[in-house]
Amino acid sequence: MPDRALQRICYVEDDEDIQRIVRMSLERVGKMTVELVTDPNTAIGVMREFKPDLVMLDWMMPGMDGPTLFRKMKQLPEVASLPVVFITAKATQRDMEELLALGAAGTISKPFSPKDLPEQLRAIWSKLP
Amino acid sequence: MSNLANGIETAAQGAAASVSAEIRSHADPALVRADRVEQLYSQLPLGLAATVVIGVIAAIELHEGRLIELVLFWGTLLAVVVALHGLLYLGYRKDKQRLENSDQWLRWLGIGAFAAGAVWGFAAAVFFPSHADERQVFLAFLLAGVISGGIPMYAASWPIFAVYAAAIAVPFTYVLATFGNRLFVEIAVLIPLFYAVSVAIAFRLNGVFVSGYRLRHAYQRQLVELEQARRQIEASGRKLALFFERSPIAVLELDPAGLIQEVNHAAELLFGFAAAELIGRSVKRLVLPKFQADFDTQWARLIATREPLAGIKVRNPRRDGLSIVCEWTVTPLVNREGDLISVVAQGRDVTAQLEAERMKKEFTSTLSHELRTPLTSIIGSLQLINVGVLGEVPKDVAELTQVAERNGQRLLDLINDILDIERIESGKLTLHPEKIRMDELVREAIVLNKGFGERFRVRFEAKGALSHREVTGDHKRLLQVMTNLLSNAAKFSPEGEVVEITTEEIPSWLRVAVHDRGPGIPEAFRSRVFGRFNQADSTTSRQKGGTGLGLAICKRLIEMMHGRIGFEDRRGGGTTFWFELPQHA
Repeated sequence: MPDRALQRICYVEDDEDIQRIVRMSLERVGKMTVELVTDPNTAIGVMREFKPDLVMLDWMMPGMDGPTLFRKMKQLPEVASLPVVFITAKATQRDMEELLALGAAGTISKPFSPKDLPEQLRAIWSKLP
Repeated sequence: MSNLANGIETAAQGAAASVSAEIRSHADPALVRADRVEQLYSQLPLGLAATVVIGVIAAIELHEGRLIELVLFWGTLLAVVVALHGLLYLGYRKDKQRLENSDQWLRWLGIGAFAAGAVWGFAAAVFFPSHADERQVFLAFLLAGVISGGIPMYAASWPIFAVYAAAIAVPFTYVLATFGNRLFVEIAVLIPLFYAVSVAIAFRLNGVFVSGYRLRHAYQRQLVELEQARRQIEASGRKLALFFERSPIAVLELDPAGLIQEVNHAAELLFGFAAAELIGRSVKRLVLPKFQADFDTQWARLIATREPLAGIKVRNPRRDGLSIVCEWTVTPLVNREGDLISVVAQGRDVTAQLEAERMKKEFTSTLSHELRTPLTSIIGSLQLINVGVLGEVPKDVAELTQVAERNGQRLLDLINDILDIERIESGKLTLHPEKIRMDELVREAIVLNKGFGERFRVRFEAKGALSHREVTGDHKRLLQVMTNLLSNAAKFSPEGEVVEITTEEIPSWLRVAVHDRGPGIPEAFRSRVFGRFNQADSTTSRQKGGTGLGLAICKRLIEMMHGRIGFEDRRGGGTTFWFELPQHA
């Protein structure tokens, strides 16, 4: 378990409605700091600057999907060690297992409950080494 | 079609009869005897005509001299015997049952033959001593002729000939022996010898006739059986041709080199080629160029192993340039000697089926993603309002946002249930079996559904001690089953009631039961409880939610875990839903 509380979240998501709900959930319910990224191609740059504790990735995005972005992150030392949580509606069990095998910290399936989302993230955070 | 059926039936009987190997044993002895009798009677008119001619000449020759009355008497006797034979002949011809009565007709003919022989014997005894030398020579010649003429006449039955000839020879021998002439005595000694030789010849001839008739009957039977076998083959051939030609499946017959020998109508329709355009050509005409190398390898393996193949999906080109996907069953035909005769390929167009499967998959994926994503926003927004993240909202607004959230959730449940059913039925749902302690599962389910129960003011309580035994099952899916049963019980229980959960150990099974105090299940609905989209009262789904798929999913999940599920009326009112899983050993 990391020695500090989960505070800074970077969320890469193309759907602006969901962005808004997640921001409200994490900021108002979870009292966290959120940085939203709409274009996955700019995500790594944002992460370098924002220095999040944890990254949330949407699975299906135009241009580059979540798993591709994740693999790219793994090759860049600055962001390779960031814990990544996938948010996906295409939630087959096998896909989830595949992501965890790739080194993802956790998965959250859509639709998630904004009331419980901060708690879910903290639970994942607490299990990190 | 009825001819065909008859053909098969008679052929089957024929096949059952044709087991025998020895041809002659097929002949029926009664039929052989009837044939012999027929042969004997058919010669009767000729014999009678000869008798009359010989009799008249004899009478003319013998009456010169003495004993004219005796000649008249003898002539009358002969005439009577001939006439009686004539009647016998007519009687035989008129008898419709002469085949069955052949034994009797044979006996009558024997008596007739004896009578005829006796008349000639009478002539020998009476006329020989009373005539001069040349008449005696005439008479001896005549008697020898009459005896030897009897051989072909009665050859079909040697005993008749023996009786007939004896009736002539015995009196003649006696007369010769007692005449007092040394030459005649010598002839008298010779006559029994001639008699014996004649009877032996008749016996041999009789044997030839019998074996001839037996052969004839045996061959007749064989011919009948051959005809039946021919009809059977013809009927199977017609049936096969019908199957081939009228089959909705494309059928190709190929030689071991892959040349098309025959195609049926369905194949012509499927590929758009006329039979004449395919027969004699390589089947590779129906294989896309890019797959031809692969086809050659597969074909070589098929010819080498001679193993039938099934369910092979191949993209085949049509004459019009389009291509279709066919599922093929390929069967090499091998004869008794082990030679490959031909290869039969049966193909079915599965293009539309594959397309339908693809569309279904696409639809499911769309349902999964495209519907769930907006629902995330809808339910999420409403939930944020409803939990008070935005502060107090007016009471009326709060009521409406709660309605909206609840119904959004209902829509989501429906989508999830449909996806579950689809995944289960298409065999795509995989379970992750693990050992699960029953008491822990029940407690977890109670905690998880506490909130849902509170909505209906119903409490969930475990009753009695819960079993510590383990079952093997998918933890998440078993919780889904429990959740379904508990939420159903809550929905149908009156407010303030308690839904009880019990576990029970029965030999090698573990039973979990959920008991409610609801209105019970109407008689008419009982058979459909575990069906899809079934709710006893459709107003329930509007008032209390639910998709009508819950119990259908439960049943399928429990069965996938090798368990069983059911329900019964609860004593004192209400219903008990239960499921049983095999106990972990």
